[in-house]
Parts: sequence; C-alpha cells; structure tokens
Amino acid sequence: MAAAQKEISVSEFFAKNRHLLGFDNPRKALLTTVKEAVDNSLDACEEAGIVPEIWVELVAINGKRYRVSIQDNGPGIVKKQIPLIFGKLLYGSKFHRLQMSRGQQGIGISAAGMYGMLTTGQPVKIISKISVRKPAHYYEIQIDTKTNKPEILNGRGDGVDIPPGEKGRKYMEKHGIDWVAFYEGEDGQPGKEIRSGTRVTIELEAKYQRGRGSVDEYLEQTAIANPHVTIHFTDPDGNTTVYRRSTTELPPEPKEIKPHPYGVELGRLVTMLKDAKSMTLSQFLTGSFSRVSPAVARRICEAAGLSTRASTRKIGRAEADKLYEAIQATKISSPSTDCIAPIGESLLLKGLHQVVPGEFYCAATRPPAVYRGNPFQVEVALAYGNRNTAKKITLEQLTELLGQSDARTLRQFLLLTFDGIGADGAEKILKTAGFGTRQSPSKLKPKDIARLHEAMRDVNISEGQTMQVLRYANRVPLQFKQRDCAITEAVMSTNWRSYGLSQSRGQLPSGPVTVLVHIASVWVPFTSESKEAIAAYPEIQRELRLGLQSVGRKLGMYLRRRKRVAQQGERRSIFLRYLGEVASAVSQINGADRDELYEHLVKVAKRMTAEADVKLDRQGRPIEEEVDFGDNVLIVESEPPGLAP
Amino acid sequence: MAKKRPVRKTKPAKKLSKSIVGKDRQTLQALRQVADTVVKTATRSRPPHLDIPSRSLRNVRYNKSKRFIEMGKGTNRRELFNLSQAKAYMQTMLVASGCKQLIEQQKTTSIRGLYYLLKHTIEGTKEETFDDQSDCDPVIEDLEVLLSALREELHVYASNRGTLVGNLVLNDSGDQIDCSRMGSGGYSIPSIVEDDVVEFVRCDAEFVLHVEKDTVWRRFNEDKFWKEYNCILTHGQGQPPRGVRRLLYRLHNELGLPVYCLLDNDPWGYYIYSVIKQGSINLAYESKRMAIPDARFLGLRSKDYQRCELTPSVQIALSDNDIKRAKQIAEYPWFKHKRAWQKEIELMLKNGFKLEVEALISKDISYVTEVYVPERLEEGDYLD
Ligand SMILES: Nc1ncnc2c1ncn2[C@@H]1O[C@H](COP(=O)(O)OP(=O)(O)OP(=O)(O)O)[C@@H](O)[C@H]1O
Ligand SMILES: [Mg+2]
Repeated sequence: MAAAQKEISVSEFFAKNRHLLGFDNPRKALLTTVKEAVDNSLDACEEAGIVPEIWVELVAINGKRYRVSIQDNGPGIVKKQIPLIFGKLLYGSKFHRLQMSRGQQGIGISAAGMYGMLTTGQPVKIISKISVRKPAHYYEIQIDTKTNKPEILNGRGDGVDIPPGEKGRKYMEKHGIDWVAFYEGEDGQPGKEIRSGTRVTIELEAKYQRGRGSVDEYLEQTAIANPHVTIHFTDPDGNTTVYRRSTTELPPEPKEIKPHPYGVELGRLVTMLKDAKSMTLSQFLTGSFSRVSPAVARRICEAAGLSTRASTRKIGRAEADKLYEAIQATKISSPSTDCIAPIGESLLLKGLHQVVPGEFYCAATRPPAVYRGNPFQVEVALAYGNRNTAKKITLEQLTELLGQSDARTLRQFLLLTFDGIGADGAEKILKTAGFGTRQSPSKLKPKDIARLHEAMRDVNISEGQTMQVLRYANRVPLQFKQRDCAITEAVMSTNWRSYGLSQSRGQLPSGPVTVLVHIASVWVPFTSESKEAIAAYPEIQRELRLGLQSVGRKLGMYLRRRKRVAQQGERRSIFLRYLGEVASAVSQINGADRDELYEHLVKVAKRMTAEADVKLDRQGRPIEEEVDFGDNVLIVESEPPGLAP
Repeated sequence: MAKKRPVRKTKPAKKLSKSIVGKDRQTLQALRQVADTVVKTATRSRPPHLDIPSRSLRNVRYNKSKRFIEMGKGTNRRELFNLSQAKAYMQTMLVASGCKQLIEQQKTTSIRGLYYLLKHTIEGTKEETFDDQSDCDPVIEDLEVLLSALREELHVYASNRGTLVGNLVLNDSGDQIDCSRMGSGGYSIPSIVEDDVVEFVRCDAEFVLHVEKDTVWRRFNEDKFWKEYNCILTHGQGQPPRGVRRLLYRLHNELGLPVYCLLDNDPWGYYIYSVIKQGSINLAYESKRMAIPDARFLGLRSKDYQRCELTPSVQIALSDNDIKRAKQIAEYPWFKHKRAWQKEIELMLKNGFKLEVEALISKDISYVTEVYVPERLEEGDYLD
C-alpha cells in the first residue's frame, strides 16, 4: 500500500472535489465564475479607491458552452503577478491578512479558470492594464493540475504586451481580443477612456437559466448591497441590463488588523510560531496580535508558566498547548472594530429601494461586535410592499423562461423561478389557469402559456408569499444553502407575528416582505469553502437577532399604522355612505334643510372616526397620530382614503 | 323601471293639511319629533341615535292582573355612527319617511309595497337600501314600538290572511257588508280593522268560534254551523295575523262575545291559543290592544283520543322538537299555575302523539260540527 501513496496537489484535489468550490453543476459553475471575477473586481477597485464599473458579458458558444468575460476599471495587476493569480490555486493577497474584503481564500478565480480548462480545454485569457500610458498585458494561461503551477500559452510563454492608445486598440481588434476602452458617454457617444482595469475571459461548460440562483439574481443583489457600483450585464441573448450606481461615495476603506488572540486556533498558533523569526515570546505576542501589550504578554506567559524571554525557536508542541490555554484564560480587551466598513443604513435604503419595489423600507446597522476575536458587524434592512416578480413578467419572458427550465412540473417551475410565490401561490395560479399539478413545463403550447401568464397576473398571491431573505457577507450575495445559514435561522426564529406578519412556527414569515441581512467581518465564518452559508456563532446569532428585531419593530409600527388608517378609512366610508340617505329622509319628514343637515352629519362623522383612531398600542399607550419611526425609514406612501364622499 | 326615490331636494315643511285628523295627526307628530331630534343633535355636532324599545324575550313580562304579556322598559340604542348599526339607523329613517308620505297622502300599502317604495341604490355605491323584504319588515316593527303606533296607524298592512262568516253586519271603508251572506268564501279580514275602517253595524251572534285553519273553517261553513248555533266563525291560517287578532279583540270587547278556539292537539295549537289569549312576545307592545285573556280552548284535547274513540291510524307521533316545545309551553307563567293545563300537556306527552282537528273526520265527515263542538259547548268543557 505504501507505494500507492503520494502527495496530492491542491489543484488535483479540487479538480476532483469541484462541488466544494461551487462548481457542482453547469448552471452553478456559470454563476460561480461570474461571482468570483466580479467579487475580485470590486475588491480591487475599492482597495484602489476607484468607483467601480463592471462589464459582465455572457456569450453562448453552443447550448453547453459559454464564454464569460468580466472587465473592471480597477487598478490592474502587475505583469508578473498575473500568471500566479489566475494559474495557481491558493494564491492571493487576502488570506494572510485580516481585513474585510469579499475574497479571502485565494482560490476563487484560479479555480474558475481551472474548471473552464477542465471542461473545455480552453485557457483563461487575461488583459490587465495599470495605467493609460503603459501597455496592457495579455495572457492566455492554463493551470497544471499536477504541480499547481501556471502555464503561459501565448507570447512564447511570456504573454503579450499591447501598447496603449489607438495602436493597441487596432491590435486587439485584429487579434479578436475584447476590451471596453471607453466609459459610456452622453447620448451613445463614447465617454472618457478607461485608464486601467482587468478583463478575464473564461470558456466553460455551463448552463444559462434565469430565476433563483442565477447570474441575473446575483448581479441584482450585488447592486442592492453595493449602491456605489455600476454593472453592465449582457446576457447570452445580447440584451444589456445596466444597474446604475446611486452614489459615487465609496465605502470607507477597511483597515487591516492583526488577529486577536482569542480568534486564533491552536494549529494556527503553532504555524505562526514556526513562521516567526527567532524572537522572545513577549515580542512574538505583542508583535503578532492585536490588543496584546507587554503587560498582557507577561500575564499570558505567567499563566502558561513560560518565560517572557523564551525564544520562539524553543517553543515545542507542549509549550504551544500551554500558551493556547493561557491565552483563553487571560483577560484581553476586545479588538478594535473600526476595521469594519458597513454599508450604512442610508445606502442600504437607497440600494434596496432602487431594486426592490415596495412601500416601506427601513434599515438598522448594529454596532460592531466580536466573535472568537474577529470583529464583525450586522446590518439589516427591510422592504415591505408589492413585491411580486411573477406579476411583472411579460409573456415573451415567460415563454423564454419556460423554454430554459428543466423543472419537472409546472408547479416546481413557478416555485423555482419566482421569488415569493410560495406553494399556495403556485397552487392558486395553476388552478386558475386550469392546469393539473403534474403538468410539465416543457410541452406547453403558446395558448397554454398565454393562459398561465394571464393567471399569474390575476391571482392575488401576496398573502401566500413568503418573506424573501437576501443574505450578504462582506457585500457579496449568498444565493445557496439558505437553510444551512445562520442568517436564515435567525430570521425564522424571530417572532414576526408580533410585528404584524403571519408566520408558522419556525418558518419564514409570509407577506410581501424582503429582508436584507449583511454580515461584514474581517473573517466571515463560512460553513464551507464555497462561501454560501454563515456559521452560527452565538455572538453572531445574537447580533442577527437584535438587528432583525430592530427592523421588525419598525415594520410593526408601520403595519399597525397602516391598518389603522385603513380601518379609519373603512369606517368613514361606511358612515358617509349612509349620511346622504339619512339627511334626505329626515328632511322629507320635517322639511329641514337637507344639505345643511348633511354637512353637520359629515362633520360629526369626521370627528367620530378621528376619535376612534386614538387606539391603544400593545403596551396600552395611546398611539400618536404621527408615528415616529426613528431614523432610516423610507415610506412610499399611497394616498390615504379621502374624506370626500 | 325607475324606482321611486325619496325626494332629495328640500321641500318646505307643509303645514299639516286640515283633512288629516285624529290618530293620523298624532302619528305624524311623533314622526316629526324623531326627525327634529336628529336635526337638533347633528346641529350640536353630536352623533344621533334612537332608543328603540327592545322586542326580545328578556324585555317582556306577564302582567298577572291584566293577564297578558307586556313589554318592559328595556330599549336598544341604535346609533348612526356605529359600524354595525349605521345601516339599520339609515333604514329606520327611511321607513319613517316612507310612512310619513303614506299618511300625508292618506294612502296605505302592504309591507311589501313599502319595501318597494323605499328600496333603491344608495347614491355613489352599489349598495341597496334594503336587500330584500326581510331586511325591511323588522325595521317596520322597530318603528312601531319606537312611536308606540300600530303598523296600521303607520298606514302599512300585512296581507289578508283570515276569514270570517256569521251573523254580523259591518261597514268596511264605506261598504256595508252582511257577513251572513258571504257564500262559501267568507269575508276576508283586512289587516287594518281599526274603527275608522271597520265599523260594527249589527250583531246577532252570541259567541265567536275561532278555528285554526281554512280546511276546518270550510267544514263548519258548509255545515252552516254558525247559522244553527248563532255564532261568528273565523280562522287565521295558523298563527292569526294582527288584523284577525285585533278583530277578535274588538268582537270580544266591544260586542261582549266570548271567544272559543278549536285548534289542533299539539304544541303549535297550544301556542296559537297562547298568542290569542296572552299576546305574542314579538308584538308584546300591542298586547293591550289584541290579547283576549278570556279566550277559551275548546279542543282538541289530549283525552279526545279515548273520549272520541279514535283509531291508532290518526295518531301522529310527537317529534323531539314537539316534546321540547310542549315542555316550554308548560312553563309559561299563564299555564304554569293552571292544573288543568298541566294535566293536558302531561297527557299529550304521555300519549306520545298529537291529533289534528281533521282526525275527527275519521269518525264521520261532520262529526266535528255536529257532535264534537256542540257537545263541548253543551258541557261547558273547555280549558281556560
Ligand atoms: N480584477 C482584479 N484586479 C486586481 N487584482 C485582482 C483581480 N482579481 C484578482 N486579483 C488579485 O488576485 C488575488 C487572488 O484572487 P482569488 O480570487 O484567486 O483569491 P481571493 O480573492 O484572495 O480569495 P477568494 O478565494 O476568497 O476569492 C486577489 O487576492 C487579488 O489580489
Ligand atoms: Mg476572489
């Protein structure tokens, strides 16, 4: 057996375990590829202080193969780094540091490239440019899965430099290299030249399908949480959607911090000790960790029974164990939390309002907190109102979606494609359209589709809708493993009934509600490498709960007020309806002036309904006429029921 | 088909025309007062309401000395600005205005006619003032108790549902009618029998025999029973309508005729007797003008099965509901302390069956007119 054992390269490992990285199936592979590239672009732009603009282009080569290109206006990448970034797994600038960023593991983009190569045999193509006047570097790269090393295919293994300006543009045209050279100008004219940036092109086996877990959804959700970003998206049909930024203000630059001792696991501590140059234990502790002063270092060493002057070289496994125990036992102040850059309540509102239609919006950013020595911050925003993607869709879009769907039944199609329909809604639609529950979506005739479309418009599914939960980690939407995520868990265990929504125990509440939850952290605790769900640390759960409660309370206030206004309107209209008859009858009997009497009665009606509105809230306090929702609430109000008969 | 709508424009208050006199004048006055209160209240910016005497069982009581059911002092408030009462309030006002028009124009109409007079779509809505007649009828009763005026005084009548024949001459709306010459159909008792409509001219009869239904009445009329025994023969088709009850009351009180009732031997028969004698819960406010505490129950009796030697084929088994009703009736205060009545009801329960008057036909077609009733009258055997 011993002979059969040999080292496995990371690339080989991941080639066999692609699901761990989010390449489980062709549809998801497409999304993951776009996502990794876009996340990188946004990280790079923000780090360089550039307001990000991103171009995403999907081209269908054939039914199974797509070419994906993502370009940004970021800082670009220096020539010698390019092959390593795109051709070597576990190479990145973000792993070893503790700073809030979208990427953190250094696997993302090279894994996408490797997946492309494995499924189509095509290399990854990169153009990157760091300045207007400098040449752009063009590489075609393959990853050698055995050695985890990049293999450069063009320019005789050295890549190609494309000169700046007109000359370079001609060259690119000639060689079929795509590059967006100018921003969009006024009325279709080219605008300013794009000074720097990176464009990655990957060809891969994929499947393009709209709906849940799609590229479209990812870009839309990215636009919500990143209101400073403009995204141009060209889908395989050649239609371009632009998500425009609503602010040019960049999020504040997150600071890099040293790890906090509480957040370091034993294994990591051992590696850090090994990697450290020869120094005293005190130097090591104060130098490698945040919040460790010489005094704290002394207390740790005392607790571990080690000398502060012991050399790191002399620390063996047993000593490391003791040191680890000692750290846990020593009181160390929490890490500074100014390293987190939340989206902020007002931008959250802007982003949500821009993309999710509704009538009530509110947001809450929790103060930063710490789990296992890692600072993090939770933000929650909520939109309430007419959310229903099923109603907005055109007949053409529906036809197309049906064509793309691989759902087995029409019911499944409805549930998977549209947010917030819910099982009840789907059932209602099918019943109204007169389809059986087992109807297959693939064999529908045009007139059947028209019938379905009609039903989707007519059926009121807003009561049956379930809450839509948008999850984000460091501004990146999380689209999968909803059930395994601490965010979903927190939403489901919140009692939404007390905020005026209906909810069965331990389920998502129903109603036309969208909740956005963002966790920002220097190190987001994902449940797996594919970065799809957040792990449930108690400190995180607590912050999630408090954040959800805070938007929930505001929603509750709004819904109560809305109900009251509706009741008031209802009462008024009932009274007003009869006043005319009463006035006529009375005037008929005693000859009183009918109109004068009517006016008097209307006046009383107004007063009566106003009086009846002073109701008591849950705590028995009279509810004020003008409700104070606090900050960061946006209400898109429709006219309250009027008084005019 | 344009429906008549109440006049919307203000009409100058017409002085009561001289021709409207007596009771009508009073009723109009009462209606006016209700309307004036609304104007006064609204002008003071207060929500108008009506206090309508309650017609529920809880608000009636048996007056032992007067020997009939009386209405208590309980009232129900009906508010215009109350979600569940707003419509009823409006309807009450509509009915009031409808009655006012009828009285003023010196016309009468049926309850159905009034319903059509007042039914229309409320302006600016799709809602009807009344959805159907059952919406309107209770409002008329509300107005009656509110004004303590009889429905007839509001110029509204129910359909004729009762017949009379016998040695009586009366004047109905100016027409002299000899009730002994009414052929096989008899005189149809109108809903309004107040003395300004129906006036007694001459009466030779010595008593009134009131039977439950038309079929029995026909038997007696065909056999010319009323001629032979010199009486007035009436029926009220089950529970007698107000016109019939009011006429019986007048015959009894004005002409001094004793009233005998021939009803089925079942809880329903007992109940009809109770209504004639003591008044009904629903119309308790009219008891003093309708109840005949001296009315007598001639039959059928629980003992008649044996007494008349009837055969088992005429038995009709008592239903659970019959048993329940019988027990309730036995508890009525005016039956409760009468031994004879208690025995009567007990015996029926013991029999386990009920008997219709028609059962006597099994003896002979005219047994009831030739034997049964004469014998009872002779013996003076009746319940009181
Ligand atoms: N568009 C880009 N512009 C500039 N630098 C980039 C760009 N894309 C990637 N990089 C650099 O390449 C590195 C590797 O990227 P990669 O996506 O492989 O890993 P990562 O983003 O660090 O972590 P993760 O695996 O979580 O995505 C990044 O850390 C970044 O420094
Ligand atoms: Mg990345």
